[in-house]
Amino acid sequence: MTPPLPLARRAFLKQSGLAAATAVAPLILPSGLRGANAPSRKITVGIVGSGNIADSHYGKLLGEQETVRILAVCDVDRERRDEGAARVNRTYGTQDCKAYADFRELNRRPDIDAVFICTPDHWHALVAIDAMRNGKDVYIEKPMTLTIEEGRAVVAAARKYNRVAQHGTQHRSMKRFHDVAEYVRNQGLGKLERIECFIPPNNRHVGATWKAEPVPAGLDWEMWLGPSPWRPYSSLGCHYNFRFISDSAYGQVTNWGAHYLDIGQWAMDADAGGPVAVEGRGEFPSSGLFSNATKVDFTVRYANGVPMTCRTRHEGGGTSRFIGERGWVDISRNRMTASNPDLLREMQAAGKKIQLELSNDHHENFLACVRSRKKPIADVEIGHRTTTVCNLGQIAMVLGRPLKWDPVKEEFVGDAMANRLRGRAMRSPWSLV
Amino acid sequence: MSERKKTATDAEKAARSADRKSNAGTTPDPWEACTRLEHGGDRSFAWSVREQVLDAPPEDRERIEGRLLDALRRAGLTDAGRAFVCQMLALVAGPRSVPVLAALLKDPKSAEDARYALQPVTGPEADAALRDALGSLSGPAKAGLIGTIALRGDKTVRAVLAGIQANPSEAPVVRDAAARALDHLKA
Repeated sequence: MTPPLPLARRAFLKQSGLAAATAVAPLILPSGLRGANAPSRKITVGIVGSGNIADSHYGKLLGEQETVRILAVCDVDRERRDEGAARVNRTYGTQDCKAYADFRELNRRPDIDAVFICTPDHWHALVAIDAMRNGKDVYIEKPMTLTIEEGRAVVAAARKYNRVAQHGTQHRSMKRFHDVAEYVRNQGLGKLERIECFIPPNNRHVGATWKAEPVPAGLDWEMWLGPSPWRPYSSLGCHYNFRFISDSAYGQVTNWGAHYLDIGQWAMDADAGGPVAVEGRGEFPSSGLFSNATKVDFTVRYANGVPMTCRTRHEGGGTSRFIGERGWVDISRNRMTASNPDLLREMQAAGKKIQLELSNDHHENFLACVRSRKKPIADVEIGHRTTTVCNLGQIAMVLGRPLKWDPVKEEFVGDAMANRLRGRAMRSPWSLV
Repeated sequence: MSERKKTATDAEKAARSADRKSNAGTTPDPWEACTRLEHGGDRSFAWSVREQVLDAPPEDRERIEGRLLDALRRAGLTDAGRAFVCQMLALVAGPRSVPVLAALLKDPKSAEDARYALQPVTGPEADAALRDALGSLSGPAKAGLIGTIALRGDKTVRAVLAGIQANPSEAPVVRDAAARALDHLKA
């Protein structure tokens, strides 16, 4: 189960020789071997986690056959990884895409440039760090990590190994979200008074008790659990539903909150910092398998006094509303409204003093940065800061008391218990180190 | 005054009468019930304990810590109960908890739970307990322990880790962990 010591990609290539490397994949050379900047080179990709969220990545990447080649798929569920690899091979008309049960084997392939991480949240940090340690660029699905400590470790790894690392908050690459953030930054709404984010409710429910079930054939349950505390298998707590169990995720706070709070961070020019205070009250189930808040209500406050709230809304889906002295703008994935249509017209006017980076496609932005070695639109530092906002809300709701946050030290001020909730020990043998 | 007293007495009689007809048992002590927690079972009593832990003001956390340590000593402690209590200790444990957790750390059956509680405990007592357990654990549990030691930044253990990394009789997962820990502690 445990592969040999991880080797840096360069060391691996030096040790194994180019001939050995190409013997693994004779048809597609990784761009790192041929000059990453060469536009004719295909970027070679591995996908770790082949379930629900990976579907859109398959669709996008398989549509980029001129520039991208998926070489490997990994999932601890045999059915899922085999389906994923078959989909790739069917599209390419080959049998080259290989299926792996252990992400470490995929990460050690010298012919892979970039890894897309689409696992449950409790695995994001470990898979990303291992990939970067092995010389891969990474695209990490949201939320970037489960805990604040994990997020800082991912950023540290990206810098240490000089990797391109994108957080999967694709609102950053949707023009309307860009336009709103830029408009707010340019005081288009006048003095910003507050930001209100709404997220959908947890959409699944199970009863007060649950039963352990036999692990399905082909599922490596121990590996699925990985660093999270052990529990017996239940189909209610595995694929998709993991997000409602706090050992794995923080429900819609991190699922949709990562998107809508992210735009608030962008508009607040807080991508390298964050709020200084948080308070909240959530409604948590006191029994049953699911443990995350069924009703979310928290408020973070920035140093300039502007609050950003995040609340559950049972109808209408997620939105971010920016409210200033000149009115409000409300934005979601499929619509944008304002208190006055003139605000929307103004938003499109050219010549703004502050101009935010514009990306129209999150995947293409990442792939371009893999070639250019520039930081992507949602670099992991940005992703970490947004995920931290989600975590601050989660911790404030769990504790039910106001907290002060130092975004420079990344510490709560004067609350030892809150500081302990920034991270957690991982189940053996896993560790952030 | 006498009328009020008479009314109260009647109410008490009514309550006693209701008690006699009730088939309900006494409400369990959540601190005892949480130690008998089972995966999939009703965790509402554990939830009650959790709320007391989270709500405890700093001046009350030593008392709460003591109650959690008492819970770890109860007869009939289940695996899920021990895991829960250790997760609560991870929020409040201090040096006082270290001897109890150190003993659990050396037992492969309880090492994971003990390490979960010990990792956030600051101070030399916890560092020493973690180092001492290196000689008791093996395989994945030892690898996890090494990770915890490195994350805490205990540089005094570097020579020991170098020995583990170089020891061919150690499991690969342990030697890998030692190598990464040494790299981490070098920074």
